[in-house]
Amino acid sequence: MTLTSPSSSAPLATRPPRSSRLGGWRPGAAALPLTAMVVALLVACPLGFVALEAGQSGWDATRQLLGRPMVLTLLGHTAALTAVVTAASLVLGFGAAWLVERTDLPLRRTFTVLAAMPLAIPEFVHGYCWVSLMPSVQGLWGASLVMVSSLYPLVFLPVAAVLRRSDAGAAEVARSLGHGRLSVLWRVTLPQCRPALAGGALLVALYLLGEYGAFAMLRYTTFATAIFTEFETAFDMTSASVLALVLIALALLIVLLQAWVVRQRGRVVRERTSGRPAAPIPLGRTKPLALLAMTALVGTAVGVPVYALGYWLVKGSSTTLPSASIWSLTLTTLGYALGAAAVATAAAIPVALYAWRRETRLARAVEQTVYLTRALPGIAVALAVVFFAIRYAQPLYQQAPLLVAGYVALFFPLALTAVRSSLAQVPHAVEDVARSLGTRPLAVLARVTVPLILPGLGAAFAMVGLTASTELTATLLLRPTGTDTLATQFWTYTTGLAWGAAAPYAAVMTALSVPAVLLLTRRTLGDSRTHTTREAGR
Amino acid sequence: MSGLTVTDLHAHHGRNDVLRGVDLTVKDGELACVLGPSGCGKSTLLRIVAGFHPATTGTVTVGDRVLDDGRRRERAEKRRIGYVPQDGALFPHLTAAANIGFGLPRAERAARVPELLDLVGLAGLGDRHPHQLSGGQQQRVALARALAPRPDLLLLDEPFSALDAALRAELRTEVAAALRRAGATAVLVTHDVDEALAFADLVAVMRDGRITQSGTPDDLFHRPTDAHVARALGEANLLPAALNGDEATTPLGTLLLARPTGRDDAGTVMLRPRQLRLLTRADTDSWTHTLRATVAATQFRGHDHRVEVTPAADGLDHPLIAYTDTAPPPVGTSVHVVATGPVHALPAAGAATTAPTGDLARHQAR
Amino acid sequence: MFGGVRSMKRSAVSMAAISLAGACALSLSACGSSGTSVASSGGSGGSLAGQTITVYSGQHEQTMGKLVQDFTARTGVKVQLRSGDEAELANQLLVEGSASPADVYVAENPPALTTLENKGLLAKVTASTLAAVPAGDSSAQGDWVGLSAREAAFVYNTGKVTAAQAPTAIKDLASAAWKGRLGIAPSETDFSPVVSLMIKQQGVAATKTWLQALKDNAKVYGSNEDLVAAVNRGDVAGGVIDHYYWYRLRDEQGASGVHSTMSYFAKGDPGALVDVSGAGVLASSKHQAAAQAFLAYLVSKPAQQIIATSESYEYPLLAGVTDTRLSRPLDQSGPIASPAELGDGKQALQLMQSVGLLS
Repeated sequence: MTLTSPSSSAPLATRPPRSSRLGGWRPGAAALPLTAMVVALLVACPLGFVALEAGQSGWDATRQLLGRPMVLTLLGHTAALTAVVTAASLVLGFGAAWLVERTDLPLRRTFTVLAAMPLAIPEFVHGYCWVSLMPSVQGLWGASLVMVSSLYPLVFLPVAAVLRRSDAGAAEVARSLGHGRLSVLWRVTLPQCRPALAGGALLVALYLLGEYGAFAMLRYTTFATAIFTEFETAFDMTSASVLALVLIALALLIVLLQAWVVRQRGRVVRERTSGRPAAPIPLGRTKPLALLAMTALVGTAVGVPVYALGYWLVKGSSTTLPSASIWSLTLTTLGYALGAAAVATAAAIPVALYAWRRETRLARAVEQTVYLTRALPGIAVALAVVFFAIRYAQPLYQQAPLLVAGYVALFFPLALTAVRSSLAQVPHAVEDVARSLGTRPLAVLARVTVPLILPGLGAAFAMVGLTASTELTATLLLRPTGTDTLATQFWTYTTGLAWGAAAPYAAVMTALSVPAVLLLTRRTLGDSRTHTTREAGR
Repeated sequence: MSGLTVTDLHAHHGRNDVLRGVDLTVKDGELACVLGPSGCGKSTLLRIVAGFHPATTGTVTVGDRVLDDGRRRERAEKRRIGYVPQDGALFPHLTAAANIGFGLPRAERAARVPELLDLVGLAGLGDRHPHQLSGGQQQRVALARALAPRPDLLLLDEPFSALDAALRAELRTEVAAALRRAGATAVLVTHDVDEALAFADLVAVMRDGRITQSGTPDDLFHRPTDAHVARALGEANLLPAALNGDEATTPLGTLLLARPTGRDDAGTVMLRPRQLRLLTRADTDSWTHTLRATVAATQFRGHDHRVEVTPAADGLDHPLIAYTDTAPPPVGTSVHVVATGPVHALPAAGAATTAPTGDLARHQAR
Repeated sequence: MFGGVRSMKRSAVSMAAISLAGACALSLSACGSSGTSVASSGGSGGSLAGQTITVYSGQHEQTMGKLVQDFTARTGVKVQLRSGDEAELANQLLVEGSASPADVYVAENPPALTTLENKGLLAKVTASTLAAVPAGDSSAQGDWVGLSAREAAFVYNTGKVTAAQAPTAIKDLASAAWKGRLGIAPSETDFSPVVSLMIKQQGVAATKTWLQALKDNAKVYGSNEDLVAAVNRGDVAGGVIDHYYWYRLRDEQGASGVHSTMSYFAKGDPGALVDVSGAGVLASSKHQAAAQAFLAYLVSKPAQQIIATSESYEYPLLAGVTDTRLSRPLDQSGPIASPAELGDGKQALQLMQSVGLLS
């Protein structure tokens, strides 16, 4: 190995210097924080609306409202549900991820895909399937069962991704230090997954705070129920907003808690440097047990909804061959969902970049603010969009772009999480190096950063598309007059008790989501070491 | 015309002052090395020169271009300064060839990329992705990538630290040779003194946000201006001395000064371990003055032995270090220490060129 | 005989009602032909044809679709139909305020309309339209008009309750006999009018006691759809719903799947509540004439006949139009609760909240 080469003698400094004029502070320096803040501000609009409305409540009225006997009970319900479902999702999500990534469980690839599949089934379909098949599923435990079986993939996917990428060396060292498998699992593997676990738990918990529909079906009242009552029975937006503020405060608590947990042991997960995957841990005699557990999980989370849909497709007497309009509905739904996915993903880039490049308190605050919107019930977000659009964007009101904007406001955190976690894998120095090679910041973004976080962008796109394609509340309020989506049509039939007629729409929604989940699984888990090959000089 | 001049550079990270008035001049075509412990601000200095970090005050000039005067900054991408970070930071999504061609106009890539692959000894490996290359190969690609656009100045931030010792030694020699052939001006920062001495025409020792001394490796090694620089370049024995014209009276006797100080007062002299010889009682006859000491520890290092001895004299409260070619007597043996060759007197505290006041005293007290 | 049987019944209530019935009878001749008259005015005048109105509808979507289609065919007025949850739409209208793109709002129950009325968001309905239906079925201020009616009923699982056991007074549901066997959906907009009537008849204290007992006895469901399905499955023995939910369930389940039936509360009981669905024109509408024409159409004979034959299973309000599929005609029911009597339902709501039935 030698560096000697005749052609190397080309002098480095023969090129005449370019203009020596100083550039001054480049406008680009402020562009990123500014863009990030504008995005955050737009996404946080619903918070502003809620605060504005709540501000109209007098002190006495507020006290009376919060002093109602049910308020405390419902806060208790929400806290109990959030605790139970988050804890169970953590256990199941981590357990399933560990089994498919670190052990010699048979059919691991199949199980990986199946374990992510509940994401393809809309939450209200989950609820409706359970209720129509097993009416005894209700109350706290029923609601927990349904919620866990639809939400645990939010933990499973990021944890599996970390396990696939992180260094197996640490676990091996721990073994050599005399720790048994369980001890290693607890003391090494689990801490390695801490940020991923915390991120997943955050999404699960925030979702639970604002969710109403599924619980109504399961006859479990939560704090969001109280907000709905104010909106829908009392038409009292001020009271509803005061209650929503309580929800936001809870969300803030959860967001800060998550940040604290992540910071506790630093966020550096060592990447696999050896290029050698961990040797699968032999399950030995526990293999049948593990197989059974995995089958039970997948059977419950995917099997039940699929069975229920099939049952109603066959049995419901209102079942007719869905009209040809189901295809145009599918296209409409796809159009909105993909639009929302593209916008949310693109908007997540500046916010994620800002938080990644500058680890300042302000950047963290901007990032955390956008998570709070996630805790608001859909109707509050939708009404906020109505509120601002009718005042400041009247020509767009009830036009497709506004519905897309509503979806973005609702699902932005999902995109941000995905983009942020893939950025965390990118060494900061690559951007510096690219600029030292004479590349402008925007070109650096296009040629280096974005290609590197493509998997994250793919995951963000899939996640938002997936969720938006089944959204109902905001769709009803914001859609262009006269257009329907699969979800609104499903809703129309189920409110008319025509479950059979509704079933095909649920089935199509689920079928549409399957490719998105496959993409999501591949993007999230895809081996970090094999990157898209690109030709030099193109 | 692409020498680097840094004048009175100050910078901070948040509330911490990182640089407190750095002055550094690297001539055109010179290979300079900034040597200092981690946290001394050397990487920040590099990042300011590269344009990744703003200076608070001070100026950075390359050739006749003012790049940063504390108020206005040239953008990093306009500076034409190559940068090789610690881990190479190759673009993982691009092949070696695409990495090297990254900073080149399209039209030039086809011709220049193979040339550079050749230069760094990686001909034929252009199609590999970074993860298919070894650590050393990755660093070579990083170097080739930085050299490709023919920068005015090349900055290397501990580029060999992630490599194993043998490879590190080999690669730094090759890189230095390649840079010299190319006539490049380059600044390398490191905490590894061997790397600094092997690589550089000019070494600048940095400490606490300032450059305490800069000069040729020989100059710094033999004529440090303070105790810190003396120790930064290798192990040193610092002895109190009474200076008198071209002589210094020390516990080892009266020794000739390498350079007369023109001072007649108390000071400090430095003896490198190779200047000390350990004698058994029988050999002391030819020496006018010896210092009694006890062997405290010995270490065989292949090419020589490192010996720590505890002197018996008053006022010498730390051990002396000597390197000997022959096997030293066992630990606990009583020996006589003698000094050979002229010694270097550290400038008086106030007279030190860049050393902060009081530094010297602190070091001697230790 | 012009007024029809149902308005005769109502006329027994008061002299005022008689005179109103008379007014209605008089207007009916006009109403009877109003479908054609709207059509002809649209066809010849051309002033409305080609206009487009936006309708926010909380009503049964398929029924509304048929009505809109027929209206457009007759008048040439295009309709953009926006179907949704009536409460969400009402909230949307409240937020939109005067900038609303909506011309007409069709609700399932009076409280949503009354809320909009109180906020001054509705325009007065044309007198002839109001006159087409019994006066008590519309807003007392004339801001919205009643279109159809639904009746509170007791649905019970035939395997768990016999016809004789079915309650005739809603008060009976508070008895210990129903403990754990009852289902209610108090968050549904249909339920609070029952409570409002109870307050009117029995006073606040008695109603509160009753609600407390109800809370102890009943399982709470999120919607009438869930409740009627639960009764049919036998999760609970019986529950209070609006009549049409059971008919829709019957259609969905087919004869073999129906394990439930309905009974009605005695006349005069708060449970025997007949509640109207109504529609109003937004004050901010820029197509007042077309919007009013739509309301006029909705109470016309063709429209009411569509309602009488649709899957929404609501009672048409126009005299002379009946839905023969319903097990008993509306005139056997109790009086239609006047919107004035029901108000905006706030008091009922607060009472339900205070006992913890609602949050």
